[in-house]
Amino acid sequence: MKTSTITAVLAIAAISAGCTTSPTRSRNLADHNVPAKTLAQQVCSNCHGIDGNSVSPNFPKLAAQQEEYIVAQLKGFRSHRRADPEGYEYMWGISRSLSDAQIKGLAAYFSAQKSIPPGPGNPKLVAEGRKIFESGLPAQGVPPCSTCHGDHGQGNGQFPRVAYQHSDYVIKQLTVFQRTNERPDGVAMKAVTHSLSDKNMEAVAAYLQQMPSK
Amino acid sequence: MDIDLHESRGAWDSLGLENPATADPARRTLAMKLGRALVAAVAACTMASLLLVAAPQQAWAVPSFARQTGQNCVACHAGGQFPELTPYGRMFKLTGYTIGERSLPLAMMAVLTANKVKVNDPAAGKPEDGSPIFNTASLFVAGKINDNMGGFAQITYNNYDSQDPNTNAWAGHSGSDNLDIRYADRLIDKHRDLIYGLTLHNNPGMQDVFNSAPAWGYGIVPGSTGVGDGATPMLDGGLGQQVAGIGAYAYWNKTLYAELSGYRTGDGVFSFMTQGNGGQNYIKGTNPYARLAFTKEWGAHNIMLGLTHLDVRQYTDQTNLSGATDHYHDNAIDAQYQYLLDPYTLTATATDIHETIDYGTAGQASDTVDSLRAKASFTYQAKYGASLSYFDQTNTLGADAKGWTPEVFWTPIQNVRVGMQYTMFNNDQAGANPNAKDNNTLFFYVWGAY
Repeated sequence: MKTSTITAVLAIAAISAGCTTSPTRSRNLADHNVPAKTLAQQVCSNCHGIDGNSVSPNFPKLAAQQEEYIVAQLKGFRSHRRADPEGYEYMWGISRSLSDAQIKGLAAYFSAQKSIPPGPGNPKLVAEGRKIFESGLPAQGVPPCSTCHGDHGQGNGQFPRVAYQHSDYVIKQLTVFQRTNERPDGVAMKAVTHSLSDKNMEAVAAYLQQMPSK
Repeated sequence: MDIDLHESRGAWDSLGLENPATADPARRTLAMKLGRALVAAVAACTMASLLLVAAPQQAWAVPSFARQTGQNCVACHAGGQFPELTPYGRMFKLTGYTIGERSLPLAMMAVLTANKVKVNDPAAGKPEDGSPIFNTASLFVAGKINDNMGGFAQITYNNYDSQDPNTNAWAGHSGSDNLDIRYADRLIDKHRDLIYGLTLHNNPGMQDVFNSAPAWGYGIVPGSTGVGDGATPMLDGGLGQQVAGIGAYAYWNKTLYAELSGYRTGDGVFSFMTQGNGGQNYIKGTNPYARLAFTKEWGAHNIMLGLTHLDVRQYTDQTNLSGATDHYHDNAIDAQYQYLLDPYTLTATATDIHETIDYGTAGQASDTVDSLRAKASFTYQAKYGASLSYFDQTNTLGADAKGWTPEVFWTPIQNVRVGMQYTMFNNDQAGANPNAKDNNTLFFYVWGAY
């Protein structure tokens, strides 16, 4: 065996043996000793962004989200109670072994972040969406979104923050509420969205993505 | 020159698998009745149905990785199509396959195929032309080792490994396939994100996380027609499962990826990475590979623009390891674009490789090998998909090939993929038939994993 081969093998063995797990840089989702902040940075950030401002509209923005709402969703994923496709495809596995303390820590981490608007929408749609958000659609029996989600879409406890959320994500979730029973904790939204047209959803989502927020 | 070691390397040669459609220098006769192709399709569909019944509702491309993360295949593979990685899938690999929780690191895969060449060569026709065959089966040992280490090792049984020259009977054989073991760490906070690591692997490019890497991007199903008999550069699988490579890499702020690897002959203590793949290909000393890629993600879009260099000295006489070497210089530019927004995915890749070969034999003129490959693939609801590939192999070896491969596929559940490809040659200089179009090949496959 050549010296270079022996050196290479020894180097790999040394690295393997020497690399001790650092709890502050772990990606182990089954170790309750890993701090929530570490999991947020090492794992969650891959899709939701280091500061909760996800780049891809496939993944919701979590920055400044209501802490209580994040806790409820993570527990919903963990128990499989929340079963929308993207929920079980991505989040059932991520959440399956998290402790209550880790869930609380993750919620605290993301709720403390500052939300950044993803970008402007179509002005006509935005104006139409603003009307729905502020006044609802009385003729269709749709109440104003602001009633529960706050005047500035900031949310309140179990009612999520919707301001600055990706419009594609909002449309997807409104569709889930309207057409499925995959989010039983959001049953109130089933009635709210019952008579929303696709155009209504697009409008309100466009407004939420860029709405003036606090 | 030693053309046997260099020509006709389809993408699956890079995985150590011989392509039944092209393993033979000549192709098969058109005398095969259309009915046989039909029987092939029906039989394969039946097998697919059996797989569907037998398969559980959750399984994945490398299912043990998914058992580790608990996630669906679409988390890491665009639209669930193996092996095209999503941005998250790339991060999973770059962080050493360590996300999730340790679980049983075993998975398996099997591929059933059938192919039909437009005009067969009656003198050297293969008995399975037009018939369904059990092509390959793989066992994966794949998973997280600790918080910094993980990897995967694939062992593949190739049912059509070699053919008896007298009886034309095929013999199966098992060999080591892709292998990638990593150490990785990640320094991340609001101001920086640095992933760095080491990788031990056995095929230049298979450690890459981008779909335009030749090892992953084109013709990935065993038995795919690939570029037919066109010559491909060393970077496109020429050293697959023949070498041991160690590389160091870094990915900074999800923007810049840089890697430096070195390859040596996979013998001695490294022979476990190359076992069962026929004769050993001997290269001299440590052969460098460098990779640089720029990436950007915005909204549902992400792009990559990359450069690769590979420099290889291969012994001219494979039995004389103190003799002269043939020197391969490969330079590549590649690009990738992805659009991922439920329920659609679109991935487009292009890879352009230029190779110069300086021979160790005095007086022998240098050769050049150019390869341009591109592919666009689309999926809807992670169930229905289509792709279109283009290849243009131009070289001084007398083995040019140019053509297109449209493909449709269906993923009824994530364990199973059924697809059909048709490779249309505009040029196939080294093919069995002088008229390139006579080498056009229809290819059907059923892929299953658990």
